[in-house]
Amino acid sequence: MLKGYIEVVVWDRDGRIVQSGRHEMHSFLNNLLKFFEAFFKGDGLGVGVSMADTGGTTRTVVGAANNSRQSRLGTAAASGDDSYGILVGSGTTPVDMNQYTLASKIPHGTSAGQLSYGPLSLDDLGVVQTVSPPVYRFRLVRSFTNASTSSVTINEIGVAVRYRFADYDYRFLVARDVLPSSYTVPAGGSASVAVTIEVELG
Amino acid sequence: MRLNCELIVEVDGKQVYRGALKSFLKNFGLYLAGMMKNNGDTSTHKYVTVTGLDGSPANALVEICVAYPSGPLVFGAGDNDDSYGILVGSGSTPVSPSDYALASKIPHGTGTGQLDYDTHTVVSSYSSTSSYVEIYRTFVNKSGSDVVVREVGLVARSYAKDVADVKFLVARDVLPSPITVKPLGSLTVKYRISLSM
Repeated sequence: MLKGYIEVVVWDRDGRIVQSGRHEMHSFLNNLLKFFEAFFKGDGLGVGVSMADTGGTTRTVVGAANNSRQSRLGTAAASGDDSYGILVGSGTTPVDMNQYTLASKIPHGTSAGQLSYGPLSLDDLGVVQTVSPPVYRFRLVRSFTNASTSSVTINEIGVAVRYRFADYDYRFLVARDVLPSSYTVPAGGSASVAVTIEVELG
Repeated sequence: MRLNCELIVEVDGKQVYRGALKSFLKNFGLYLAGMMKNNGDTSTHKYVTVTGLDGSPANALVEICVAYPSGPLVFGAGDNDDSYGILVGSGSTPVSPSDYALASKIPHGTGTGQLDYDTHTVVSSYSSTSSYVEIYRTFVNKSGSDVVVREVGLVARSYAKDVADVKFLVARDVLPSPITVKPLGSLTVKYRISLSM
């Protein structure tokens, strides 16, 4: 039904590609399933679904409500915002479906052990008929620049979404992958991470 | 881990079909991409254009600024409501990704060729290695004649009071063989999404 893959490209300070790879996504988390539960409940049932936000606090997510602002699975984080969208980390803890945060997020910044997070963009590629079964494909892309004087190693990739409900504003991790091999972003270099999601169609 | 979806059909409480759901539609991909493309700031209403149940372009809300009651994406239609949620039909036209309606919906009712649409029920189970969420609906034949079901569909609703109320088909399956619901018999259709390590 829903599958995906991750592509990572690393450049050095001179713009040369020094590392790249493509990996099957294996790691949708329970939080994503819980969003579907909230969507299913929606009208009439009116019961929220509990899930842990990226800070580990249990929150209630609803499908529909008698409140004003609502947004569910937004990923288009702005430049410098490391709270949602594609996130990168240095942790290698194996994936567990109950996880709600990266094992060790690399924060936004220009100091050692930090990466400068670019804005997230989503390319909607639409229906792809050249594969069987056909799929609906879209791709999240984000760049990470190492403005520090030491290299930074990426071992894990996550996708976190923003949830708005009335005045509540939460972030939830919905996918996490530990990469089969590390990617090292040299000082002055950068990395691009693309997460492609495919919905299998009839 | 990959998110999988199954379709389960029961007649009078007995399972008669269980198989992988193969028929999510273009509408679902469009909406999911549209929802994820947003930043969640909710400063304005934001929409994605899907194909409505009548075949016309329809603007479905993915973010809602100030309007309520509202729900950007919901499925749980109430009792007797055959406009969204799980629907059944008698058509057998092969599925196409651009389908926007059942080929021939069986309407809610108690007359010939109709079924009484019940409310929806959602059940779920979560663990660190295996989880699922399931939505199901039961249809009762209160007429005096058989009703034959050949297709099932899932219709989403996206609405906000005084702004928009859009219903759009996100999945449609033609059953491998027709299922007959006898007078006073019941049919239950379940969509189960699961995740396992």
